[in-house]
Amino acid sequence: MFLRLCVVVSIFAVVMTAGTPSVSAQNATQTGGLNAFNPDLSVVVDMFYHADDSEEGISHIMEEISGFGHSHGEGEHHHHGVENGFNLRHVELQMSANADPYFKGSAIAAVDTDGAELETAELETSSLPCGFKLRGGKFYSDFGYLNAQHSHQWDFTDQPLIYKLCLGDHGLNDKGLQATWLAPTPFYLLAGVEAFQGDNETMFAYSGEAPLPSDDGPRVGVAWLKCGPNLPGNHALQFGAFGASGSHQEAHDADGDGAEDHWLAGDNSFWGGDFVYKFNAPLAYGQGDFILQGEYFNRQKDLNVIAHDLAPALVGNSRTDNQDGYYIQALYGFLPRWRGGLRWEQVGLTNQSDLPDGTSESYGGSSRIGVMADFSPSEFSRIRLQVNQGSYETADGKQDVSEVYLQWMLSLGAHAAHKF
Amino acid sequence: MHNSIIWNLTLVLSLCQPIFAAGKPLNVVATTSDFGAIAREIGGESVTVTVLAQPGEDAHFVTPKPSYIAKLARTDLLIEGGAELEVGWLPPLIEGSRNPRLVLGRPAHVACAEGLSLLEVPSIRDRAQGDIHAMGNPHYMTDPVNARLVAERIGNALAVADPAQADQYRARRAVFTKRLDEKLAVWQKQLEPFKGTRVVAFHNSWPYFARRFGFTIDLFLEPRPGIPPSPAHLADIVGTMKREKIRVILVEPYQNRKTAETVASKTGAAVLDFTQYPGGIKGTEAGYIEFMDYLVNTLSAALAGERKP
Repeated sequence: MFLRLCVVVSIFAVVMTAGTPSVSAQNATQTGGLNAFNPDLSVVVDMFYHADDSEEGISHIMEEISGFGHSHGEGEHHHHGVENGFNLRHVELQMSANADPYFKGSAIAAVDTDGAELETAELETSSLPCGFKLRGGKFYSDFGYLNAQHSHQWDFTDQPLIYKLCLGDHGLNDKGLQATWLAPTPFYLLAGVEAFQGDNETMFAYSGEAPLPSDDGPRVGVAWLKCGPNLPGNHALQFGAFGASGSHQEAHDADGDGAEDHWLAGDNSFWGGDFVYKFNAPLAYGQGDFILQGEYFNRQKDLNVIAHDLAPALVGNSRTDNQDGYYIQALYGFLPRWRGGLRWEQVGLTNQSDLPDGTSESYGGSSRIGVMADFSPSEFSRIRLQVNQGSYETADGKQDVSEVYLQWMLSLGAHAAHKF
Repeated sequence: MHNSIIWNLTLVLSLCQPIFAAGKPLNVVATTSDFGAIAREIGGESVTVTVLAQPGEDAHFVTPKPSYIAKLARTDLLIEGGAELEVGWLPPLIEGSRNPRLVLGRPAHVACAEGLSLLEVPSIRDRAQGDIHAMGNPHYMTDPVNARLVAERIGNALAVADPAQADQYRARRAVFTKRLDEKLAVWQKQLEPFKGTRVVAFHNSWPYFARRFGFTIDLFLEPRPGIPPSPAHLADIVGTMKREKIRVILVEPYQNRKTAETVASKTGAAVLDFTQYPGGIKGTEAGYIEFMDYLVNTLSAALAGERKP
């Protein structure tokens, strides 16, 4: 905690001493003095109002969805469980600059009312030959499409269910190393491999405390491929495939006495695919623009019972879980500066658990539909209204929940460029 | 036997390679079609030019298509406008291309705004003023004198990227500049009778055109750069247009022509289809000079027609 505080204090110090308006590499030549070497700075403020009609709140239901049970082996992450009423997602303080002709760096601190986290802190090469690039630090995995996007870049206020249930609030964001290669093909083809330390809050949880085995990192490996064919004019397409595998540990409290009583460890992995199609209409202020995107995940958990205080006979037996899910969403600029969006998602089309006692269980699926409209007064601000209607399969049966979000976002400072 | 065939093939291929290399055109990428047109003019057969932005779309908002990354990876010379024209989409493409030649400041990455004196450099950098550009207005290519300077930069950059053809680039650039100078005199003469005329535009894209040809283009349908017209602001514009007898509204292809037509119908003004980019309007595709011809002819015809009654 003290370390985190130090990081935030020093980042604030840099922000304060920087003082002057941000200077991008583009205009560095025009601004005199040493200020030109200050990193690009920007601040993102993201707040929303949320209300739902469930008894215990949507965050609780997310933890109870059948087949995607919550594990308790995770380390020290804070949860962004949404509350009814006002929520401040976080304030993002971003900095980036070239260190020298060989490396560039960036850091993002996510500050909220409970404290602060280092969201990303990354180094990357800028001059490796033959289309190679190395990246290290704490960063978002580039698998799929949505994972590498920060929450304020999403086209809906909340994450798709499959992301939330498989990888948690932060997606796959971890300390590690990434190597990517841009193939010398006439179309876009990018391949990447990543090794992560392995302390995701949901899928690659690690505690290492007895009786769970202690494993050295890196404990997670990821590989992905992205392809972008040459479409004419205002049409753009990217599709990809990905897979990840790593070690996973869980600790459970079966009798509900507040003390952990059985422990599992093994492998967790997922594979899937993603696509994004964009049409950029030749009209001003985003009118007529269209985006269609979707992603599919299939998750396989393969664990062994390491210790069991209540049923020692089960020790050594295996438990496997197989779940999947997808989302598909469309966005359309129906007026200048206004966009409308529709998202449909399902999880648990495959939803099966083979338990340590030799029995199997299959569960039903959950689904959700989301509708949103947002208004962007300028490139630097956005107001969004979103309504979700979900039907969730939980241990207490099917639960229907309606949610409403009203979101307000601002971005201050350096002009952030948009990636695809 | 097999060995000798392979050996012969290798020999043939290795002989062919330098020939291919010498005959291989230089890969030039321009962000917008005005730079592309000039690069084609100067490069001739020795270059292949790819333009990223569609000529009819707003160069501030271009989808950073993944396929552009593949194009930039094999680019020998990149020509951009600079001055934040492409700041919203080009930097991630260049970074994604991993092409060491395209790092800003290297000779193969030309930002044409460098070395030009830009208008409207804001004294206060505050986005409450709208989406303003810290380095000045980046729509400088509708002044042929700026186009002349840009042609010189592009010619030099081509010569550096492909020294074997340097003489040819120099010669072609001289031909282009001579033609441009002659044309500029014609355009100025053609627009001379309308000096001092006030014209309305949708977006503040024309300060350089106005300065060169002696127009005043300081009224915009947008209340602030990048903010769409509001009814109150349009009512103001209609009032000013009536009071000052302003007869022409310039509209670019991606801007809302209906808004301009509404204002025109209330003021008796004419809506003119204008474009900053060769190819943005039918009949402007052939090159920079043909594109400027269109602008000058269209505007002078409209103003001459309005003066008759």
